[in-house]
Amino acid sequence: MANRVTESSIHTRVLANLQRNIQRGEKIQEQLSSGKQINRPSDSPNGTLQSMQLRGETRANNQYVRSADDGLGWLSTLDGTLTSASTLVQRARSLTLQGLNAGSNSAESRNALATEIDQIKSSMIGYANTTYLDRPVFGGTTTQAKAFDADGQFIGNQDGVIRTIGPNSQVRVDADGVGAFGDGSTSVFKVLEDISTALRSNDMDGLNAGLEGLETAGNNLKNTLSEVGARYNRVTQMKQSAEDRLLDVTAQLSDVEDVDLPKTIMDMQLQQTSYQAALAASAKVIQPSLIDFLR
Amino acid sequence: MASSFGSINTALTSLYAQRRGLDVAGQNIANATTEGYTRQRVDMQAQVGSTVGVRWATTDGLGTGVAVTDVQRLRDQYLENRGRTEHANSAYLSNQAAAYTSLEDVFAEPSSTALQAQMHDMWAAWGDVGDEPTSVAARSALLQQSSVVAEGLNSAYGSLDSQWSANASQLTKYASEINTAAGTIAQLNDSIVKAKATGVVVNELEDRRDLAVMKLSELIGATASVRSDGSMDVYVGNALLVNRTTTRPMTATAGVSTLDAQRDYNADPTNGTRSAGLTWSDTGDTVQAGGTMGSMVDTMTTILPGMAEKLDKVAKTLVDTVNAATTSAYKTDGTAGTEFFTGDFSTGRYARNITVAITNPKDVAISAKNETNPDGTPKLDVNGNPIGTNDGSLATSLAGTATRVGSPDLVYQDMIADLGVNAQTSTRRSEIQVNVTAQVDAAREAESGVNLDEEMTNLLTYQRGYEAASRVLTTIDSMLDQLINRTGLVGR
Repeated sequence: MANRVTESSIHTRVLANLQRNIQRGEKIQEQLSSGKQINRPSDSPNGTLQSMQLRGETRANNQYVRSADDGLGWLSTLDGTLTSASTLVQRARSLTLQGLNAGSNSAESRNALATEIDQIKSSMIGYANTTYLDRPVFGGTTTQAKAFDADGQFIGNQDGVIRTIGPNSQVRVDADGVGAFGDGSTSVFKVLEDISTALRSNDMDGLNAGLEGLETAGNNLKNTLSEVGARYNRVTQMKQSAEDRLLDVTAQLSDVEDVDLPKTIMDMQLQQTSYQAALAASAKVIQPSLIDFLR
Repeated sequence: MASSFGSINTALTSLYAQRRGLDVAGQNIANATTEGYTRQRVDMQAQVGSTVGVRWATTDGLGTGVAVTDVQRLRDQYLENRGRTEHANSAYLSNQAAAYTSLEDVFAEPSSTALQAQMHDMWAAWGDVGDEPTSVAARSALLQQSSVVAEGLNSAYGSLDSQWSANASQLTKYASEINTAAGTIAQLNDSIVKAKATGVVVNELEDRRDLAVMKLSELIGATASVRSDGSMDVYVGNALLVNRTTTRPMTATAGVSTLDAQRDYNADPTNGTRSAGLTWSDTGDTVQAGGTMGSMVDTMTTILPGMAEKLDKVAKTLVDTVNAATTSAYKTDGTAGTEFFTGDFSTGRYARNITVAITNPKDVAISAKNETNPDGTPKLDVNGNPIGTNDGSLATSLAGTATRVGSPDLVYQDMIADLGVNAQTSTRRSEIQVNVTAQVDAAREAESGVNLDEEMTNLLTYQRGYEAASRVLTTIDSMLDQLINRTGLVGR
């Protein structure tokens, strides 16, 4: 009885084929309606892994951009502060020169110069205590509100404030208060104080020493400023590359996850056509039997 | 020389036989769509006259008509056995595929809201805290994100747990179904053996028995063999479930009853408990089940505990990584850091028990060092306490955990990739097996199903046969009429 065919064997086969056909349709419908070709890990284990890692990379790069923005805030605060501090040192230098050149000036005019130097000193301390988001930008990681006390003594610490702005790329976004303003007897505050004292006491040697001190202090500030500028550039570049990477990753994620719309729609059309054909054929095949022809 | 009326009897046997043929064709057509019905065929045999040579015998060796010797049930035992095996395999594989599919649903990867995304958000929150150690908002956000991850792990483990319990209760129901079905088969065996002994045709009973055995094959992978007296023995594994008219009950409640207990058993099979699964009630031996129930037992003893193991590994790595950082760190006020995640990990159930230990945002310890004097000794305040810093380097370092070797993220990704591969494999195997099963079913239907064309042809044949036999009867009748009424009337 090989190749015997019965109504129920046709029924079984046709049903199985229709079922397979409609299952394929369901898969395509799922992909189209979700817009994703990977809806569960079994759709593509490797694609799932890639998608998870790419999402991780998206978030990491977002984090880099946020950290870079924060870093730029710190660095531009530093930049502004250091530029103003440098200008102040220039001003102090010209006042000191004024004091030196006009050695025979009256005590009043020297006192006036000294008073302005005192002003500069306190402004300088103000600059040195500049804060960004309530943290002193020259104070390292200190929890105090200030990096320098009223006398110009450094009370912060010299640990860097670090931002991670790329894979394995860390940048210091604060400036070392000691490096910029000096500490103790070599600090710019002490130099200004000495100049003020020298002016009041008409101490020419002291003024000369003060001039040298201001030279060093100015250089320190400029060095710090150029370093800050260089870091600002680096952070800007890294931020740009993190943003670029973000676009790349998004595109890759879309490649891995999203459906190829034209292809999927074509697939669906094909599937629907073949399903309808199968249905029509089944309807025709199943109906007739000998009963229809025996009269 | 045969008797004058012998031929009438010959025609009569034909009338009987054609009627029987019509009846059977009618029965076949009536049951054309009945599930499990096997087409029947009338076996006719020409009746011979006396074949024993006897002196003075008057036989002419001609046959004396037709007899229905049997109504055959056209079912191929080989195909039937094959069908049972394929149905059992198909049931096993589709249950495995369903188990993996629901595991995929538990984790719902890949998505921008599932556990992996939650972990990414948590690492990003660590990064924010590292950037702004003074921000209470960033710290609160970190605690929130970390709670989300911890709860995500808790609920994933809970889902595994409830999937295990659902399997266990379903298995118990199936076990009682098996016991009932076995009882039915034993009863049918009894009826069939008794009927066969008295020569009654029991094709319909045998159909019902085959249907019941097929159901057992799908549920538990049963196989069967028929004895010469017509009774059927049903095996599960190598053990008899139905032996003629006796059955052997099984139970699903002899083993452990929770996922955790099963994991304890897996870790130490000598701990005095029994693995979950099916056991014979009489001997307490394990039932070597296949089919749906076999798959459920495998899911309960291997797949779910394995998945729980991996999830625990993810949670453990997370706890170890974060706690190692925070316990070596200092808080902003200079005191030593404490554990970030906590829970009862004594039995290794990390995923089930993980919670965030810290409630006050300020207590998250992220700075690598306190203030130190130039000589390296800790700097102390007026009260002799250490002074903290706004260093966030440990948080920043934690923010980069995701891609580091041995990170919880990578462990989790491994787990999901494994799950994906297993789910894909089992779904594909199941699809292939469904096709094979459909082919075998079609072959079985081709063998034992009713073909209406064939039945119509048979109807036609039997009808014509009946008509012809009647004609033979009429012919003989008119012959006899000739002989009786119109013979010997010479001269009347």
